[in-house]
Amino acid sequence: MVKLYGFASSTCTRLVALVCKEKDISYELIPVNLAKGEHKHPGFVANQPFGQVPYIDDDGFILYESRAIARYLIKKYPNQGAPLIPSDPKAEALFEQAASIESFNFTAFVAPIVAERVFNPRRGLQPNEERVSELLANLQPKLDAYDLILSKQKYLAGDSVTLADLAHLPYGTAFYGAGFAEVFESRPHLARWWKDISNRPAWLAVKDGA
Amino acid sequence: MVKLYGFAYSTCTRLVALVCKEKEIPYELTNINLAKGEQKDPSFVAVQPFGQVPYIDDDGFLLYESRAIARYLIKKYPNQGTPLIPSDPKAEALFEQAASIETFNFSAFVSLIVAEKVFKPRRGLQPNEERKYLAGDSVTLADLAHLPYGTAFYGAGFAEVFDSRPNVARWWKDISNRPAWLAVKDGA
Repeated sequence: MVKLYGFASSTCTRLVALVCKEKDISYELIPVNLAKGEHKHPGFVANQPFGQVPYIDDDGFILYESRAIARYLIKKYPNQGAPLIPSDPKAEALFEQAASIESFNFTAFVAPIVAERVFNPRRGLQPNEERVSELLANLQPKLDAYDLILSKQKYLAGDSVTLADLAHLPYGTAFYGAGFAEVFESRPHLARWWKDISNRPAWLAVKDGA
Repeated sequence: MVKLYGFAYSTCTRLVALVCKEKEIPYELTNINLAKGEQKDPSFVAVQPFGQVPYIDDDGFLLYESRAIARYLIKKYPNQGTPLIPSDPKAEALFEQAASIETFNFSAFVSLIVAEKVFKPRRGLQPNEERKYLAGDSVTLADLAHLPYGTAFYGAGFAEVFDSRPNVARWWKDISNRPAWLAVKDGA
């Protein structure tokens, strides 16, 4: 069984758990206590030099970076669960386009907003609202482009759900719940897409903990 | 021939040009004048809804996002130039790991510094000394994707960030002296 070294409520740990659920892959979560700084311990850093969760141990094969883990598992088990990465070359290229959109036009802004509004208060720190405003101002036109794309197709890479859609869920859900629901709901096609992906049974199964 | 719609000095346009050189793929650059805001013109946005360079037109197939374009071209021409993306499943997984490191542990910070020229100390790159490149012993797209922003960053007064770390310095010297990069670093 895949051993998932992570933290049940971490965004990136839940992305890997989500993909396992979508692909019907059983996994064993081995908790890494972030509050105690276990992800910075020498034993952890020996496997993950950046000191970040999660990583997997798949029968001795060690791999980190949640999106890389997700791709590895999706390709290892092509014949079970949702496909999530197309194999036709042009469809695959459009998936890669959507995956890059997620990284550079969504998460690049949403993750630091979540860090300010959700993670900082947990650590007793005040959010830097000036930074939040700047990030949100940069995000808004990107989401207009999302709304345009999603007015023409069901998902970000075409008419089938892919990993590129799912990768929005952990940070996107935290962002939605941190007072930014209107950012989605004010854009009809974005709202329709978000409602679709955020209600997938696999996400409902892991959204509150891997 | 691949039509590359971009700007000769843009970091992301040069990443695509770099991969074309590595893979010996001829391309034709169609200049988009960013100073005039041509990337926000309706005809451009109809193809690239985010209004960003570059995109390609490969015999009618339109694709944007430089790393997605790079992957598409690398996979389309597997038998010429440098491989850049391994096909063995575990080697490919380590390439994907390295590609994510580039995005989330390098460019996420370096592109902001390059944009703002404000140094914000963050986590550094810690290469595995046992490996020549970020995904193993062969150069991959994950290494090359560091070059456009990394070179601008290096030249903006941050050479020491690389040169103070012997393994990072060795790796940087290696990839930044590849003939394909020397051919396009000053313009696609």
